[in-house]
Amino acid sequence: MADKVLRLSISLRQIMAFAKRDFKDWKTYKTQVITQLITIAIGILSWAINALYRNRPVPEYDTDYISFLVVGLVIGNLVMPISQGIERRLNPWTLENIIMTGIPIPIFVIGQIAWPYMFSLITFIPQLLIGIFWFGVNLRINPISTFFAFIVSAMILLGLSMISIGFRLVTKSTDPITWTVNTLQQLLAGISFPVQFLDNFIPGISQLSWFLPQTWVYHLWRLAMLKAASIMDPAITLEFLKGSIFAVFLFPIGYRVFKWGLNRAKRDGTLGWF
Amino acid sequence: MTKGIAIEIIDLVKRYPASIGRISGRHPHMGWQVGGIRELFSRKRNYIQALDGVNLKVYEGEVFGLLGPNGAGKTTLIKILCTLVLPDSGKAYVNGYDVVKEPEKVLRNLQAVLGDPRGFDWRLSARANLEFYAALYGLPRDYAKKRIEELLGFMGLIDRANDMYQRFSTGMARKLQLCRALLLDTPILLFDEPTAGLDPISAVEFRHLLKDKLAKSERRTIFMATHNMFEAQTMCDRVAIINRGKIIACDKPENLGRYVNPTKRYVFILDKHNTTSSVKSFMNEVSSLKGIINFNLLRDEDSSMKISITVNENFMISDILAIAIKYDLKIMDIKYYEPTLEEVFMTLVGGREAWPTRF
Repeated sequence: MADKVLRLSISLRQIMAFAKRDFKDWKTYKTQVITQLITIAIGILSWAINALYRNRPVPEYDTDYISFLVVGLVIGNLVMPISQGIERRLNPWTLENIIMTGIPIPIFVIGQIAWPYMFSLITFIPQLLIGIFWFGVNLRINPISTFFAFIVSAMILLGLSMISIGFRLVTKSTDPITWTVNTLQQLLAGISFPVQFLDNFIPGISQLSWFLPQTWVYHLWRLAMLKAASIMDPAITLEFLKGSIFAVFLFPIGYRVFKWGLNRAKRDGTLGWF
Repeated sequence: MTKGIAIEIIDLVKRYPASIGRISGRHPHMGWQVGGIRELFSRKRNYIQALDGVNLKVYEGEVFGLLGPNGAGKTTLIKILCTLVLPDSGKAYVNGYDVVKEPEKVLRNLQAVLGDPRGFDWRLSARANLEFYAALYGLPRDYAKKRIEELLGFMGLIDRANDMYQRFSTGMARKLQLCRALLLDTPILLFDEPTAGLDPISAVEFRHLLKDKLAKSERRTIFMATHNMFEAQTMCDRVAIINRGKIIACDKPENLGRYVNPTKRYVFILDKHNTTSSVKSFMNEVSSLKGIINFNLLRDEDSSMKISITVNENFMISDILAIAIKYDLKIMDIKYYEPTLEEVFMTLVGGREAWPTRF
């Protein structure tokens, strides 16, 4: 038991070491810090203003469009760094040295995204407050559902990240799978409109959206934050179970793809290549 | 007392695909692998043979040099030992642990300085970089702090510890890499071209650090890949010469000459006042001795004489000296020549006999 606690505390310290390194690195780029914060603020403003202009009800979540959009944007800022962080932070120059420390793969993956995610958490609350007090976003949050939405979406995005990084270790550039998923997400995942809205253009196309993991990320978060949906409700439980199927499949697949990419790079002798 | 084996390499083979699109179809430890698209449709495969059946043993506390030209397979061998490259076949053990099956245990016994200065975060200070790696190694916080200060002091970097890494010179960067490799205090250290890119003073300092502090004082096993002959000759207890993925010689540096030519050469420099008859008598008698391979009389411009004698490795030089005394031959100097490591290397790797050109 004591050994397990010690192991856990070492793992936590290892994750924090990544976060600390990346935070220190990040804050040395003063201009980037400022521009990053401004970009987030402008992003919220521009989307919200756009939404105000054509506000309309969103019956799927019993809410109005501004609430739908701002929450979508906030969710995007909160969970997307999980998939983007690992891609951006993977540095082939340091990879060999990091692997030589003998660090376990999951710790390495979580460590890589720790800082971008903490940064998202820090900005999450102000973004929500701006949404609520400036644009009158109507939040009806169910904490338990929100917690589960977080777990499911984190697993989905972590799985996608590991798939992406596994391929990137081999291809040394953007992998086609991540590119396809991210590109389709722009149109089909329902970031700025309910996916059902797509049926107005091509009847039935919204059904395709539900095969995209990111659609479930947005859907579950919106259920939990806009509709106060309780997972005790069988219909909601079913929605969460459907989303969990992606998590259950993508997480282990991601782990295997990551491991495959790592072994393949080791076999080809290209681990330190970029 | 027999020394334990720190590193053992048995029939190690490694081939790399010549291009990214072509990868090996089968891996002995991993079964079938997904190949590149071209691989699926092409039967023609191009490979680079990096290691071709390498066998080596490195003993505890030894400074072992792996000498070879560029592309000989030195870095591949080092990276296999570091668990960064997987071999195609064969075995490699570090303190008894298999590099393929037990990488975590291997990395608790061995760390490396790979020579790539980009291994640190350029925007962080030297100390912050070491703190990061100490955490990844799982070192307890207080111990890590103490160890980092110790190492920075040991390497003479304490005054620059808070400087951004990108301000570091090549020599300082190399020292910081060594600090990182020493964080875990492993008994085995690997170096890939330890002094490449260093100025002469930094190189001397770094060699001193390796040989005297890490090897002699701390009794660590040092395995270094180099193509610097001087480094190999002066620092290593044993040297292996690798070429095209094969070990072609392995011995103490002073014994490697035998791989080129198992003979000894002496040059007798004679006083110019020796009579021609005494020299002639001496030469006649010496030429009849058993074990003499080659015998030449050389005259310099100032009419002084030299006799170059090549003998087999068991020949006793005292036999020649006894004849010289018998004929009252005045000898000013005797020079003994053996191939330098560079000449051995040139002969073995370059395929030409380099060392006789000095005569």
